[in-house]
Amino acid sequence: MFRRQGSKVLVVDLSGQTVKALAGSMVAYEGDVTFKKGAMGGGEGLRGALKRKATGESLDLMDMTGSGTVYLAHRATEVEVVDLRGETLRVESSALLAVAPGLRTAVEFSGLRGASSGQGLFTTTVSGDGQVAVLSDGPPLVLEVTPQTPLVVDPDAYVCAKGQLQQSFVTDVSWRDAVGAGGGEAYSLRFEGSGVVYVQPAER
Amino acid sequence: MPGFALVNHKVVSVPVAPGREVLAKRGAMLAYSGDVRFRPVSGPRPGLGGLVGRALSGEAAPLMVADGSGQVSYGYAGLAVHLVHLDGTGSLSVESDRLLCHDAGLQTAVVFLGQQGGVRGAVRGAVTGQGLFTTQVSGVGDVAVLAHGGVLELPVGGRPVVVDPQAYVGHVGAVQVDVSASVGWRDAVGRGSGEAVQLRLSGSGSVLVQASEERF
Amino acid sequence: MTGQPLGPSTLPHNDNVNPYSYNIALDGTWFLRKGAMIAYYGQMRFEALSSVGSLTGMVARQFSSPMYTREWVVATGQGSLMVADRGHDVNSLDLEDGNLTVRASNLLAFTPDLQLKQSIVPGFLTLIGTGTFLASSNGPVVFAEPPLRVDPQALVGWADCPSPSHHFDAGWMSDFLGAAQGLLGRQSGEERQFDFTGAGTVLLQSSELVVEDPALLQQITEQTGMLGTGQLQSLVTTLQARLQGAQQ
Repeated sequence: MFRRQGSKVLVVDLSGQTVKALAGSMVAYEGDVTFKKGAMGGGEGLRGALKRKATGESLDLMDMTGSGTVYLAHRATEVEVVDLRGETLRVESSALLAVAPGLRTAVEFSGLRGASSGQGLFTTTVSGDGQVAVLSDGPPLVLEVTPQTPLVVDPDAYVCAKGQLQQSFVTDVSWRDAVGAGGGEAYSLRFEGSGVVYVQPAER
Repeated sequence: MPGFALVNHKVVSVPVAPGREVLAKRGAMLAYSGDVRFRPVSGPRPGLGGLVGRALSGEAAPLMVADGSGQVSYGYAGLAVHLVHLDGTGSLSVESDRLLCHDAGLQTAVVFLGQQGGVRGAVRGAVTGQGLFTTQVSGVGDVAVLAHGGVLELPVGGRPVVVDPQAYVGHVGAVQVDVSASVGWRDAVGRGSGEAVQLRLSGSGSVLVQASEERF
Repeated sequence: MTGQPLGPSTLPHNDNVNPYSYNIALDGTWFLRKGAMIAYYGQMRFEALSSVGSLTGMVARQFSSPMYTREWVVATGQGSLMVADRGHDVNSLDLEDGNLTVRASNLLAFTPDLQLKQSIVPGFLTLIGTGTFLASSNGPVVFAEPPLRVDPQALVGWADCPSPSHHFDAGWMSDFLGAAQGLLGRQSGEERQFDFTGAGTVLLQSSELVVEDPALLQQITEQTGMLGTGQLQSLVTTLQARLQGAQQ
């Protein structure tokens, strides 16, 4: 259902289904397709919507319904298609481009962090069987985490993660030196366990 | 005589020789070797709706002509560069400020793509933002156009292709462009305010779409 | 899909992971620009140049660019250190008993066997010696040979050839002299270039809005000490006009 044309355009073939996609990301389409701003991220119900409102983790999604071909792109960033087989993908809400029908989206509490920043306290999750298209500023590095090899990531470069991962926020003097006092986050994301983390070659 | 050649996806290398001058967006010259001179000239004259004038159409951006003999590299603000070769059979319509450089021997004219043609349509379009001023390039030669992200070339023919005006780069061939507002369109293109319009292309040819819904 | 996930044993050692990111197989020390690191495996520390302790002597010797000390850290330890810069291309270049001058905002990292000095050209840094450094560019770097004239914004750096001089297009000069027009308002075109001569290599990128470099401001501010009152007044007028132009 999802395929890429080049590395920056997602092509969605619709034959009667509804696909959720980032509102405003349509650059062209052929056929008979209607676009409607989705009321909710979908699936999580009222409680999820309230939580979303409270947390500020906002999903600006639209519903695309009909039969035809839709071309999606966002700010010339790379598009990556992730296949989920009963797994859960944790993704920064700003990195979500499109979600195949049948997948559930929700908001999840992702742990305490050390510094005050608007990002990272809550994360969007996508779970079930199907394809998810995520956005990455530049082709992402797909990095493996094993119990022997934990990974530390700059939150500004973090895109998404899947697998059995524990995520913690690390603040130390060394990290603050590395990212600079002005811009950048004062904490780092540390992943332990077993899974895969997507990191983009650019800071948000 | 060799033509335009991409050095990479953001830089084009162009030969300049007597009788083969090059017109380029001002500020787009990256480097050159040889004996090349650069002079400012005004942009293409508005064809359709000539009275509207350049100021209104946003065509005021002056061009630079390069003459002499040598090799010039052009690029602009890190944007992707897409080459189109015209063999004389068809013309390229491109949004005017996306024109990076082209052979000076090509003919250019400003054309308004809008709901209504002519001066009234153009004036109304310029005021409401409905429609686009494009430069129509015809003749034999090379054209380099700018896009945010890569360029997607979609064939037009059979069923129409609908394009977000922000992502529209240009089109080639016998293509009809209709500008219209549509219900639900704003959800798709995400404009905050104003009447959201769409470009509906039909006929036979192709449309160039950039991999971004944001103009540069 | 982007193929198999990579880990510490499968990431390329001291090489590009893709055109936009590079993996340093850290075993010791590198100089690193703040913010260039995107992820790492292993044990490593990042220390401000002023607080490096036991390394102070080395830093003072190799990092001879006082205006840039706040922008840089020393990375020490063992592991895989991945660096990137705004999604731009990342290039690794080796110097062998050579020298290369690079735009300060394009330089991401270098090995401590290289010496860093401030170039005479404001906003540029010179690397001297034998070692490796990483530099970013908007689009792949284009290597060109002098004689060549370059738009200042498109310049990434140069190696082995003499520092550039300014070149003013003859047509613009005659316009300028004839009409006695202020250069201002006419500076968006191609009238001014950097002129490279001699043997060497020039590194180019697609032009971009240049990243604000705090050290460049400091350098220029210091140079205004050479101006008289009348000249300063004239500079203020010029800057105000430019500011108005930029805000339009």
